[in-house]
Amino acid sequence: MRRLPYKSILSLLLLLPAFGIPAAPRKAMPSSQQNESWFEDVTQKAGITSRHHTRRFDNPYAEIMQGYTKLGSAAAVADYDNDGFEDIFVTDSCTTCKNHLYHNNGNLTFTDVAEKAGVANGNDENNASSGALWLDYNNDGLPDLFVVRFGHSILYQNLGNGVFRDVTKEAGLDRYMNAIKAIAFDYDNDGYVDLFIGCYFQPVNIFHPSSPRFFPESFENANNGGGVVVFHNNRNGTFTEVTAQVGIHTTGWTLDLGHGDANNDGWEDLYVANDFGTDRFYVNNGDGTFTDKTETAIGFDTKKGMNVDWGDFDNDGFLDIYVTNITDDYMREGNFLWHNNGNLTFTDISRETGTYDTGWGWAGKFFDYDNDGWLDLYVMNGWVSAGKESYVPDIFAMVTRPGVDFADARNWPPIGNKSLSGYEKKRLFHNEQGHIFKDEAARHGLDSIKDGRGIAVADFDNDGRLDLFVTNADDTPNLYHNVLPTGAHWLGFVLEGTKSNRSAIGAQVRVSANGRTYLRYVNGGNGFASQSTTRVHFGLGKATTITALEVRWPSGLKQTLSALPVDHWYKILEGHSATLMQPGGNKR
Amino acid sequence: MMKNFLSCICAMVLSISLPGGSTAASDADYQQAMRALTTNDYSSALRYLESAMTQDPDNLKYASEYRQAAIRNKDFDRSVAFFEKLAASRPQSANIHLNFGFAYVDKIPTAGSITQVILANKALNEFSRAVELDPNWINYYTRGASYLFWPKIFNRAPLGVADLEKALKIQSTGPRRSYYVKVYVSLGDGYWKTDQLDKALEIWRLGLKQFPGNQQLKFRLEHKGAELQDTIESSFDPNKRVDTDLRELWIAS
Repeated sequence: MRRLPYKSILSLLLLLPAFGIPAAPRKAMPSSQQNESWFEDVTQKAGITSRHHTRRFDNPYAEIMQGYTKLGSAAAVADYDNDGFEDIFVTDSCTTCKNHLYHNNGNLTFTDVAEKAGVANGNDENNASSGALWLDYNNDGLPDLFVVRFGHSILYQNLGNGVFRDVTKEAGLDRYMNAIKAIAFDYDNDGYVDLFIGCYFQPVNIFHPSSPRFFPESFENANNGGGVVVFHNNRNGTFTEVTAQVGIHTTGWTLDLGHGDANNDGWEDLYVANDFGTDRFYVNNGDGTFTDKTETAIGFDTKKGMNVDWGDFDNDGFLDIYVTNITDDYMREGNFLWHNNGNLTFTDISRETGTYDTGWGWAGKFFDYDNDGWLDLYVMNGWVSAGKESYVPDIFAMVTRPGVDFADARNWPPIGNKSLSGYEKKRLFHNEQGHIFKDEAARHGLDSIKDGRGIAVADFDNDGRLDLFVTNADDTPNLYHNVLPTGAHWLGFVLEGTKSNRSAIGAQVRVSANGRTYLRYVNGGNGFASQSTTRVHFGLGKATTITALEVRWPSGLKQTLSALPVDHWYKILEGHSATLMQPGGNKR
Repeated sequence: MMKNFLSCICAMVLSISLPGGSTAASDADYQQAMRALTTNDYSSALRYLESAMTQDPDNLKYASEYRQAAIRNKDFDRSVAFFEKLAASRPQSANIHLNFGFAYVDKIPTAGSITQVILANKALNEFSRAVELDPNWINYYTRGASYLFWPKIFNRAPLGVADLEKALKIQSTGPRRSYYVKVYVSLGDGYWKTDQLDKALEIWRLGLKQFPGNQQLKFRLEHKGAELQDTIESSFDPNKRVDTDLRELWIAS
C-alpha cells in the first residue's frame, strides 16, 4: 500500500476549514446511536415549501385523464452557478403553476430564484411540465436546463449571470412531444452530450385531443405510445433528430431512460422503461448506432416499467440496473434488479435480493447512504392516495369486458375520489454487502406515504454524506439531510472533460480500498422524474486510505491518479491531477 | 391396470361425474396419445387426445391428460381454443366447462398481470357453469379454490369459503379419498383470508386428524404471523403454476 507524503496531507488539512469541509474523520458511532435515524427532514427549515399541483385537463376526457396523469412532480440537481453547492430545479404542473429554481445558499437553506433566472414559466394551457434535466449542451462549463413537458419542451441556455435564455427554437428542439423524461449522454463520444427524450403519450395534443383513441392499446404490449426521440448535438448549439438513424425504434409508453456502459467497452448503452409493455435494451455499437438486444439481454416483459437506474450494487465491476414496476395485491409484477452477467445479458435477482416488491414503484436510486462502500437503494411508490374506496374494481371491470378497446379513452372509468395503490410506504433498502437488501426506511424516517415520484441524490452541504430530495405528486417535496454518525470514510469527485464532453457524462471512476475496487460513474439524468448529482461519490467504510484511483473518460483516456486523502471532494480535469474542491471559490 | 382403473371409476362415480363412458375408438386414440407422449411427440399426442375427447367429451381423464400435454408443449392457446369449441358443441357438459376453465388457469402463469386477471375471470365463469350443471365435489372445490386467488379488494374469498364448505359437506358423506385433504387446506386458507383465524386453525387441525402427516396442514399449524402469511400468499401467486392435473381423482385411494 502506497503511503502518502506527510507534507501533502498536512497541507490539505490546513486548507480545509477555510472551505467548510470537515477537517477530520468523524468519530465512530456509539452503540446507543445504532438504531437512531440518520436522516432529518429539513424541508421547512430549508425553505423548500412549494407543493406540486397535478394538471387538471379541460376537455371531454378530463375526468378520465385525471386518473392517469398524476405526473410532473420532478426535480433535477446541478450546481448551475458553479459556487460549489448543488442547486435544485423542481417542476410543477398546473396551468398557472410556476417551476422553481432553488439556489443553495450554502447553509442548507435555499432561495427560489426561478423568476429572476427566467425559468419559472413552465406551464400554460398547452404545455405541462413533467420533468427536468441539467445538461451542458454547449460545453461552456455552465449547466443548461431542459424543461421536459407534455407539449413543447424548453431548452434554457445558462448565461452564467444567474439568468437563462430560451433557445429551444434556435437549438432545433421546438417540437410537440408528450415528453416525460430526458437524459443526456454522448452516445458517439464526439465530445458533446446528446439528448434522449422519453415520451409517454404519442405526439397528439392531449390538452385538446381530436380523437378519443390516444390511450394505451394494451396493458401489456402497447406500442401506441410516444417512445424515444434522439437528438444529436451538432456541436454548434443546435441539435438534429436522429432517432431512426441511430437505430432506436420504440413506440412504447416510455416513462424513463437510463444509460450506462454495460460491457465496459467505453460506449454508453441504453435501457428504456416502458409502461404498459416491454422495456428495451439497446447496445451501443460504437459507430453512432445502437442495436436492440432486448431479447437476449433482458427478454420481453409485459410489465409497467417506471424507473431505470444503473449502479454496481455488488461491486463486481459491472453496472447493474434497477427497474420499478407495479406490485400490489391485485398486480404481482415485481421489480427488476438486473444483475449484469458481464456479457450483455442480465438476470433478474429482485426476489432473491428482497427488492422485488415496492408497491406501485416510481423512482429508485442507487446511492451509498452509510458510506460503507455498497450502493443502497431508495424507492418511491404510490399512485393515487385519495378516498377510502378503491379504483381497482373499476379498472378490472373494464379489463374483463369482452372486446373492449383500451385505446379509446372513453372506455376507461373515471377515478373520481378513489385511491389506487395509495398511501404506500417508501422503501430504503440497505445493501447487505451485495447479497440482499434490508428495508430501513422506517428507522430513518424515510417511509413517507405521500405519492412519491422523483429522487434527486446529492450532497447539498458538501459533508460527504449523501442527502435526498424527494418529489411528491400533489404534495410538498421532502429534503432529507443525511446526518450519518458512523464516521465512515468517503471520497468524491467532480469531473470535467476536456476532450470528453465537459460535464464528463459517462466517465467511470474506479477506486481501490478495503481490498476491493469500487466502480461509480457520471450519469446524465437516470431515474424517473429526477436527476441526481453528476458528482461521483464513494463510501469507503473504515478505509482511511485508497490504494488506486482510475478514471476512464468518454474520450477513451484512461487516467491513473495518485491516491488521495479520504473524506474530501476533489475536482479532476481530464488529463490533469486532482485538486480539492473549493465551495464558494469556483465562481465565474 | 385397466381393472384397477375401472374399479376406481366405479367407486368414484357415485359422488362425482368422472370419466364418461369411453368408447373403443376413443380409448384407442387415448392409447396412441400416451405412446406419442413417451417420445415427447406432443403434436401427435394432442391430436389423438382431441380426437378422443371429440368422441367422448365428458371424459375427465382425456381432458386432463390433454391439458397436461398442452402445458408441457406450451400450447395454451390451442388448449383454450379446443375447449371453447368443445363447450360450444356440448354446452350442457359440466366436465367440459370444468376443463375449459382449467385451460384458462393453465395459461395464467405465462401471461402478463392484466391478462392473468382476464384469464382468471374467464376461468371462473366456466367453473360457475360447471357448478350450475353439476354441483359435485370437484366443481365446488375448484370454484371455491379459484375464488381464493382473487385479491382481497374483490371480496371473493367469502364466496370461496361457501363453495369449499359445500365441498366439505359432500366429502363427509362418502368414503374417504386422499385428495379430500385439499379442501381442508383451502378452506382453512379461505378462513384465514376472511380474517377467521380460529376457524382456519380448527379446520386445519381437523384435516390433519383425517390426514396425519400432511405437510401443508402441518406447516400451517406450526407457523403463524408473517411466516404463515407468506406461505398462504405465495400459494396464491398467479405467477406460479397451479397443479390442475386431475389424475389423482382416478388413481387415488
